[in-house]
Amino acid sequence: MDKILEIIYNGILDGDQKAVAQDVQVALDAGLAPDDILKNALVTAMGEVGRRFEAGEYFVPEMLIAARAMQGGLKLLKPRLVQNGVAAIGKVIIGTVAGDLHDIGKNLVGMMLEGGGFEVIDLGADVKPETFVAAVREHRPDIIGLSALLTTTMPKMISTIQALEEAGLRKQAKVMVGGAPVTEEYAKKIGADGFAYDASLAVKVARSLIEQK
Amino acid sequence: MNSLERFQKRLRGEPVDRPPNFDILMTFAAHYIGYPLASYYHDHRVLVDANLSVLEAFDLDIVQAISDPFREAADFGLEVEFSENNLPVNREPLIVELDDIKRLVPPNPGTGPRMSDRVEAVRLFRERVGGEVPIMGWVEGALAEAADLRSVYLTMTDLVRRADWLEELLEICVNVEIAFARAQVQAGADIIGLGDAVASQISPAMYRRFALPYEQRIFSAVHEMGALTRLHICGNTTRILSDMLESGADIIDLDWMVNMNSAAEKFGDRVSFCGNVDPVAIMMQGTPEKVYEATQRCMTWGGPRSISGAGCEIPDGTPEENFHAQTRALRDIASHN
Repeated sequence: MDKILEIIYNGILDGDQKAVAQDVQVALDAGLAPDDILKNALVTAMGEVGRRFEAGEYFVPEMLIAARAMQGGLKLLKPRLVQNGVAAIGKVIIGTVAGDLHDIGKNLVGMMLEGGGFEVIDLGADVKPETFVAAVREHRPDIIGLSALLTTTMPKMISTIQALEEAGLRKQAKVMVGGAPVTEEYAKKIGADGFAYDASLAVKVARSLIEQK
Repeated sequence: MNSLERFQKRLRGEPVDRPPNFDILMTFAAHYIGYPLASYYHDHRVLVDANLSVLEAFDLDIVQAISDPFREAADFGLEVEFSENNLPVNREPLIVELDDIKRLVPPNPGTGPRMSDRVEAVRLFRERVGGEVPIMGWVEGALAEAADLRSVYLTMTDLVRRADWLEELLEICVNVEIAFARAQVQAGADIIGLGDAVASQISPAMYRRFALPYEQRIFSAVHEMGALTRLHICGNTTRILSDMLESGADIIDLDWMVNMNSAAEKFGDRVSFCGNVDPVAIMMQGTPEKVYEATQRCMTWGGPRSISGAGCEIPDGTPEENFHAQTRALRDIASHN
């Protein structure tokens, strides 16, 4: 691994947002290709963050600051990636369903997906079914991610899937769901294509959904 | 045997007619007596009536003043939005800049509108069922309270980036929680429950530094006044269970993700575990047969000091027959012993 890529990789694992942004700029100035920096520093570092999370070495605080540091670097790379025509491995629309304002889990999933090489369009929290429908029409994503933390808002996942069906958009994208009260059984029951119980697994599930497409 | 006797005997591991049922019902209880959730958390009389109704209808063994996480935070001055049938929500943290901590005015449980309403709930419980049913007051853990004031997101970064500053905030929070716990014990609480939800998302080392010492101080203040303590951390607490034992809690709630069998095997009779039927997949979405099996399984695993309960709040919309299945399971355990 190029020395500067290694420095960026370690900066992400340490959650050092400022250093990562500076080092990504150094790498770009040195002539490294943006997609090289993305794949060989940002994505690999976030893969390692996911591995450490699954192994019980990292927890939400460490994952959160690592993801934030990664985003600092990604912000610099994004315009150049677009300019060079480098495509993301898939496009994901993500949001917490209507009536639910919890966004920590959803944000983490969004950041981990970005760190996994996906383009993520985050619709925020308390997202109405019609807003999801409009966003799917506009952005044509590969995956729609629905999050809910409350048992009282879980049924909004069903309303959102129904709204997509009624709009004739359900087959355009895979739907994956998650959140504290959501189970794999519930995901199957409501007709979702994928379920993940944490942000690290969400990346793996999203990758497998892309392969199925 | 009344509920208080049943609970006290069970806590000592003595024979009972059935294991006590400590299910947490809030939205369900409000709706059960025909009130919106907002009335439940705004008006202690509704909270008390709702608790007493579900207590009788579903053979519960506790009345509880828990309602929402923002009692203390609202009295600190956090802007909280209330709506008719949703939990209170906050959109902007009270502590955004680090210096904001200097402007914090710790609320008084006797005069803070939301905290004093909870104290009044406990007082009314005491009037209505004192000495017959265990009365549980409720406080936030210091770390949970810091997250209420600062947002979960910022608190998560504080844990890694500014530990000393966070400890200053925790010191302010813990003193408020101790005063709040004392006020509820004075009003007649037999048990003080403490919720420290964020603790399941952090490492054991962080738990030992930023959550446990404050839980210990709150519980120690409660014990000094002669009341009991219950520790409730939502989520998978498997990796911090042995540390939670050090909190001094008399009862440790286990959420449904924790393996109650392993927990009980590991910690034996050092503490009374409460749990841990899945509140959504079993209680709300399961059949009465599934509820019956799960309830019996948890009590078999938990041993002679364990208390029955779902892992966390039982959601609104849970079929009434599932509560009755729970009661049957608990009665049958006793008759087979």
